[in-house]
Amino acid sequence: MKKAMLYTLLVLASVGVLFPILFSLSISLQGETVSPRLLPDLKSLDWGVFVSVFRKEPNMGRWILNSFVVSIAVMTGQLVVSALAAYPLATLNFPGKPFFFFFFLATLLVPWESTVIPNYLTIATLHWKDSYQGLIVPFLASGFGIFLLRQSFMTLPKELYEAAVIEGCGRTRYLWSILLPLSRPALATLAIYAFLNTWNQYYWPLLVVDNPVWRTTQVGITAFRSTEIASYNLQMAGTLVVMAPTIFLLFLGQKQLVSGLTSGALKG
Amino acid sequence: MTSIGKPRSRKDLGVSLLYMAPAIILFTLFTFLPFIRATFLSFFIVDRNTFAPAKFFGLGYYARIFNLGSTALGDEYLRSIGTSFSFALMTVPASIVAALALAVLACVKVKYIETFRTIFTTSVAISIASAGVIWALIFSPDVKVTAWILELLRIRSSSLLTDASTALPALAFMTVWTGLGFNFIIMLAGIQAIPRELYESGRIDGANGWKTFRHITLPLLSPTLLFLTIISTISCFLAFTQFKVMIDSVGPNKSTEVFVYAIFNTFWMENNYGFASAMSIVLFAVLLVLSMLQFRFDKKVHYQ
Repeated sequence: MKKAMLYTLLVLASVGVLFPILFSLSISLQGETVSPRLLPDLKSLDWGVFVSVFRKEPNMGRWILNSFVVSIAVMTGQLVVSALAAYPLATLNFPGKPFFFFFFLATLLVPWESTVIPNYLTIATLHWKDSYQGLIVPFLASGFGIFLLRQSFMTLPKELYEAAVIEGCGRTRYLWSILLPLSRPALATLAIYAFLNTWNQYYWPLLVVDNPVWRTTQVGITAFRSTEIASYNLQMAGTLVVMAPTIFLLFLGQKQLVSGLTSGALKG
Repeated sequence: MTSIGKPRSRKDLGVSLLYMAPAIILFTLFTFLPFIRATFLSFFIVDRNTFAPAKFFGLGYYARIFNLGSTALGDEYLRSIGTSFSFALMTVPASIVAALALAVLACVKVKYIETFRTIFTTSVAISIASAGVIWALIFSPDVKVTAWILELLRIRSSSLLTDASTALPALAFMTVWTGLGFNFIIMLAGIQAIPRELYESGRIDGANGWKTFRHITLPLLSPTLLFLTIISTISCFLAFTQFKVMIDSVGPNKSTEVFVYAIFNTFWMENNYGFASAMSIVLFAVLLVLSMLQFRFDKKVHYQ
């Protein structure tokens, strides 16, 4: 009895949480209409809408490609740049270390929104508007990534490093063949986090893209929404299509993402 | 070769700099120099074609933002800071309560609870832009259910998003949903970190569900609650996407002109780079205060 009540509560909460997604699916399948209902007619579900949205908006495929290229590039870049920077911070003692520690810490205090104007001017001056480099390069370094990996590297015992050095292992080889393989969970966390954030970016791509071909999915879908051909079912189908990769990634990387977000490294 | 724990060596400095070079260069180019440039530009009238400072303007823009000039020109910028605060005030408490309720519910020990937990985190994966497209339709009176609910609540306006009294609360509601996944994850971790023994001894003392929640869960969860309150306030203050996607203007009667949207207008629509830079610096200062609060408090929790 008590169990049945708990399950009822859990299911109700799930429906509440998933409501916007279920709603968009329901509207997608209703066919073209100006006054959509909450639930579609189950006898005439229009699954073809997910194909016709690519026909009605020929750039949709390109937007998805752009988002994949940019997100994967930023993800890879953040992994490499963060691992390299975290390595000396975690394992070496060098003069000026506190300075560099605060240098990286300070980046967490400067919100992207307060540097966006000069950054836009830089990209415009470099003629990097409407290009992959304009969408990628400003995001290749991540303070969150550096501190996450530093924390992970520091959990490995010092003796490991000393033993490796005695065996004649060079510094870079130690990073590559010992530290990184042992830090896989942290690397996975950073990878998922970077991919999600980049895929979901809106403000920056809105600024640096003029030509519709260079739009990313988020800017694309909001632009598509305000066109005349975008009936409600097409709007919702398009939105579901661009949300699918990140929802898939969430279910795949649930554990890593949760452990990363709760590690405390994100604070700030 | 120097190993860990040995005295600092100059040789290690060279190697370390080499490893850190990519990060240092990128942060210098895209975080620190832009920040210095924004500060610099905020004192100048900036040429909109060459982006070069054209005429020194002193603290003029700052005076304008806070409406301090000799001839008062209007307080729209101060008001937009106020709108950001109201938006945070509408969003943050509701976010915390909703996440807390979900997290408590997700602690029950039943089969398939992991699946439910995963479902509760969904909104983490969904961008504010995509969510904005969906919620704009949910709020639209074209949808029969919405029209029916509006009539039921006797809201006469044509649409929630075009009425000055409902637009900001509607956006706050949508924002609660977009933050729910993240807040739930942190809240659940907070609850799970509370030692089991406390609940055991509470049970022996005869405490019931509500009493354990009130006297054990809530007090021990207060660091998490405070952390989420500050983080959510910061993200409310930085909110832009939902306002651009769902309203795309200053809103009915300027009711949804939050500060970041006002910056966007000055920067993007009016190409007033100097003024927009000054506004960015004010934004930075507000957020710095919030971040400092969080750092301070974070220390206290860790070393207690």
